[in-house]
Amino acid sequence: MEEFIGDLWHRVVTRQAQTDYPDAQVELAVLTPQLAPFYRAMGGSPGKVLEASQPRAFNTQRRLVQRIAGTHRRFSVSWQDERSVRLPPSLALFPERDINEDLYFWLTALAAKQSYLQHWFIDNLRASYELLAEKPGLKKTYNRLVSAVINQRELLTGSSGADQEGEMAIRQALRDPGCIQSLPRTKVGLLPVPLWLYPPPMQIVSIDSEDNLDECESGMATVSQIYGSRKEANRIDDSKETDGLLIFQLESLFSWTEQVELDRCQDEDDEDNLASAVEDLDIISLSRQRRAGAAKVKFDLDLPSVHNDELPVGDGIKLPEWNHQKSQLVKDFCLLQPMLADDAVPVAIPEHLNRTACHLKNRFAKLHLQRQWQYRQPYGEELDLDAWLDNETSPVCSQEEQPCFKARTANARELSCLLLADLSMSTDSALNADQRVIDVIRDTLLLFAEALSGSGDQFAIYGFSSVKNKQVRYNLLKNFSETYSDQARGRIIAIKPGFYTRMGAAIRQSTEILKQQKSQQRLLLIVSDGKPNDIDHYEGRYGIEDTRHAILDAKRQGIQPFCVTIDDKGNDYLPYLFGSQGYALVNDVSRLPTLLPKLYLNLVGLNS
Amino acid sequence: MTISNYYLPQGREVEIFKGAAANGLPVMIKGPTGCGKTRFVEYMAERLGRKVYTIACHDDLTASDLVGRHLIGAEGTFWQDGPLTRAVREGGICYLDEVVEARKDTTVVLHPLSDHRRILPVERTGELLHAHPDFMLVISYNPGYQNLMKGLKPSTRQRFVGLSFNYPDADREVLIVCQESGAEKNVAQQLVALGNDLRRMKDHDLEEAASTRLLIYTALMINSGLTAKEACSVCLVEPLTDDLATQQAIGRLIDVHF
Ligand SMILES: Nc1ncnc2c1ncn2[C@@H]1O[C@H](COP(=O)(O)OP(=O)(O)O)[C@@H](O)[C@H]1O
Ligand SMILES: [Mg+2]
Repeated sequence: MEEFIGDLWHRVVTRQAQTDYPDAQVELAVLTPQLAPFYRAMGGSPGKVLEASQPRAFNTQRRLVQRIAGTHRRFSVSWQDERSVRLPPSLALFPERDINEDLYFWLTALAAKQSYLQHWFIDNLRASYELLAEKPGLKKTYNRLVSAVINQRELLTGSSGADQEGEMAIRQALRDPGCIQSLPRTKVGLLPVPLWLYPPPMQIVSIDSEDNLDECESGMATVSQIYGSRKEANRIDDSKETDGLLIFQLESLFSWTEQVELDRCQDEDDEDNLASAVEDLDIISLSRQRRAGAAKVKFDLDLPSVHNDELPVGDGIKLPEWNHQKSQLVKDFCLLQPMLADDAVPVAIPEHLNRTACHLKNRFAKLHLQRQWQYRQPYGEELDLDAWLDNETSPVCSQEEQPCFKARTANARELSCLLLADLSMSTDSALNADQRVIDVIRDTLLLFAEALSGSGDQFAIYGFSSVKNKQVRYNLLKNFSETYSDQARGRIIAIKPGFYTRMGAAIRQSTEILKQQKSQQRLLLIVSDGKPNDIDHYEGRYGIEDTRHAILDAKRQGIQPFCVTIDDKGNDYLPYLFGSQGYALVNDVSRLPTLLPKLYLNLVGLNS
Repeated sequence: MTISNYYLPQGREVEIFKGAAANGLPVMIKGPTGCGKTRFVEYMAERLGRKVYTIACHDDLTASDLVGRHLIGAEGTFWQDGPLTRAVREGGICYLDEVVEARKDTTVVLHPLSDHRRILPVERTGELLHAHPDFMLVISYNPGYQNLMKGLKPSTRQRFVGLSFNYPDADREVLIVCQESGAEKNVAQQLVALGNDLRRMKDHDLEEAASTRLLIYTALMINSGLTAKEACSVCLVEPLTDDLATQQAIGRLIDVHF
């Protein structure tokens, strides 16, 4: 008998390796698309995500645990913090699939109900009690879950014994969460209660101090096999490394910018003639054969190594900048360097975006077919009676033939859109556990490109960042003349946070490119995460005024600029830059990817 | 006077509307779909003893649809006033529903009517109409992401007295659902609780929140014999989303409520 219990126990405690009822197992990853909306509907904070929890050590009833050869004392319980709700990566506690599924929904509801946990026992009871009172439909599910849990606990711990006082209290509390007030002290740890939430593990705090490495490693070995679990230790290390790297890059860059003026004139004498016509910029033909030459330039100029995968195209483009103090457009003040990641590997749309991408693409494809009545046409499908009558009844009836037809034209939209993405250093900042701003921008660009490639609208995508006026990096991600392909997608996927935000220059260049497009409507869509700034005088008023100047100039040239920002202080300066109708502030950054295509539809007046 | 339209005020909107009417000022009502904007206008019209001319705006709406056009009759062509012109001549509330759907070149005809001039030039007949003292212009629209860019021009907005509507609070909404559907109070309470949960999904999972109107529909369907779950499924799940995972999540939510 003892052997049997031990075996069962072993299976429960180590179910990450060997599930209780593998046939009835449900995966968190599969259910998340349902659990997440459910969580929000139940009142959970919309900013939180659902993630897989990692097994943690449990000080359970030692008598039994020792019997099970000690090592596996880890258990995936549910918990939450301000960032996310963690649920077990899979559940196979019960023989029926739908009970396991119900458990996920119950835990999600409980997490939405109870946003903090002070006292494990009381708070879980109170939340359960309130939840059941508010949502009468939950009763049935809950009762089913409780009897399944209690059955299992009876098998594992028996139904009597000296140490059972606590266990009995738990069972009673589960059956009737309204009645029990406190948990009797017990000498031994209790079996985890799968229906309740746990406090965040202390372990996470200790993980980043080195001494715990051993413990950590053995833990990680098991954990890493579990799909979807995050690895705390790794994450921390990564971020440290990145920081170091960034500082290093910046240093070498500074030295380079100091040198640039000296080196530049030498370059110009070079017979290489790496410089290519400025106009080539939006044409992607220059790549491989130039690379050899470019490498030389990079060597000469000591470009930061991390950017070796990007090819500077041409010698750079001189652009003016607005000096508001002097009220003067200073000629050739900026040097904009077009960049092309020609080594980026062509890739298909990433898995996590696939569904949305398809959806968007289909939706945009329908726009092809959208038709609108055009009035007063010289010919068409139907008489435009209004036009005809107008003419007949007008006091000065014209003798000439008037256009009196109406025609349904298929989407006569003539439109070119250039999407300009801010790739400054600030996009490196973390948004949540797994995402930085740049990741959201990447997804945004990808979905936008998918959508527009469905619609057949002309579009180009560029990114920018800068280090002072002599290096405004302008990354070609997809230009107007190429069709959107895996190649372009590869370039988008390869984007990285850059340096600073000299927005004026990037806007001027984008204006130039858009001007070459013959379309009627030309849209310059800017995705930004903050104010224009750079490490020289380009900050505060100066940067704002220069950017504004560039925008006004674009407007004068018939281009329609629009800015989408995730900067919550955007309302302070964007109206001045873009006009009150010329920008949108997205509060919830995670929505940016799906929002931008919608915004685009609104901008081009096609919203259905 | 008995009022046939039932309207339960949410705040001071009745007084505000009366004040605007007394001063000949146009009114702009913002709010999500199905929150009672139209009902409010109809109710106020009745209280003020004015007729309502409702125009549902869409992007093919032309200025002639508002102002009027020449038609051909037995004796040749004749002029027919549009709803706007009729309201201007006879006095009445001209209600432009979902005004942002109309093209901007259509709504410019409203400008001279919505400031102190209160005039309507009818180009095609050469008339210049001065609005009847009982004429009142009311527009409504649904702000939010879909209409982000289509929002009214500042020059247009500045001419209106603005009212912001939202879904009624739970107690009021229960009363409204009961009144409109004849449902039992406890059914209405469950539906309103469900509705409020669904509203939290807006912007993330749903484009539009579950409206009071949909809750009323659901209650009506329950009255005619559908089970609560069936009624919710056909009146709430299907109208709100096509996305399968979201539908399943709402299904779960319904299970939790009933
Ligand atoms: N405050 C209210 N008083 C009475 N009925 C209301 C109220 N709010 C909403 N309703 C009900 O909701 C329904 C939808 O409202 P409606 O005015 O058509 O919405 P909207 O015009 O805002 O889209 C109405 O038919 C009415 O039954
Ligand atoms: Mg309405």
